[in-house]
Amino acid sequence: MKNLILTIAIALISFTSFSQDKLSTTSGHIKFFSSTPAEDIEANNYKVTSILKPTEGTLVFSVPMQSFEFEKALMQKHYNSKKFLDTKQFPKGKFKGAITNLSAIDFATDGTYEAAVSGTLTIHGVAKEITEKIKLTVVNGAVTGNTEFDIILADYGVVFTKGKPSENIAKTIKITASLNYTKE
Amino acid sequence: MKSKIIKLIGVLALIALSYGAYLWFMPHQNVQGTKAFKTIDATVLVNEFLADKTAANEMYLDTEGESKVLIITGTIADISKDQLNQKVILLKNTSEKMGVSCTFTVDTNSQVDQLEVGNTVKIKGVIRSGAEYDEDLDLTENVIVEKSAIVE
Repeated sequence: MKNLILTIAIALISFTSFSQDKLSTTSGHIKFFSSTPAEDIEANNYKVTSILKPTEGTLVFSVPMQSFEFEKALMQKHYNSKKFLDTKQFPKGKFKGAITNLSAIDFATDGTYEAAVSGTLTIHGVAKEITEKIKLTVVNGAVTGNTEFDIILADYGVVFTKGKPSENIAKTIKITASLNYTKE
Repeated sequence: MKSKIIKLIGVLALIALSYGAYLWFMPHQNVQGTKAFKTIDATVLVNEFLADKTAANEMYLDTEGESKVLIITGTIADISKDQLNQKVILLKNTSEKMGVSCTFTVDTNSQVDQLEVGNTVKIKGVIRSGAEYDEDLDLTENVIVEKSAIVE
């Protein structure tokens, strides 16, 4: 009887501590890539904040939009301007969502898992529901996340109908993200 | 008359070419060469964003991304590296949830080598975004400052 009570107590303590786990990073990397016959454009951002709650499956990203760096200063100015992403008015891009196949992921066992994620992506003040996949790799309790997906600029209110931007900037942009989570 | 018109066209073409070259080779914002907008304590800066995000964004962020260059004073709470191997100093008091995250560059990384958690420092850099706290998501976001260097 004493052993049973002890076992239940240990199980409860373990569950409580695991359920409070929160993984986070403040140095995630996001890259976007646009390709047209006129030119390829790439920008990198190493300041992404993200949290991942293994027990609930909650996944959140916050991207400081002015931290994207371009090779050319002029491109960077255009990207930040009111005509493009208006980063003064909309300084952060955000994703708030959840892993929908949480039972397929064992955060306690080393391995690579494909997580299906659904949620709301907000860029340029426009929110859109998205469903994408993210590869989660667990090694000794540390989790890394990698994903690659496309976004259509017009879905987020970024539209060019004439001039150089309409020739040089692709309508669809490839997004690549790499996150190294650690326990808080 | 004809030769004057040809000369004028030549001069205009040269001006257009020079302007095109200037735009193409325009340098990035020289953060360390820019006079600081103000010197501010890390806690004060965080609280400005928490009190009124819109007013703080209006004050510090620029429409073309060349936002305000600041000198931030504070206590080092953490020293880390990002995925580009740039050193990152977090200025924050132990009792606070959020601070100012200052990212150094390849050229200024070595300035961090002699520093330790608990040291008080002055860091000059360009602000990229403000602090925020989302209670529902338990998401804390530091003020982001990049292109940093230590100010003696």
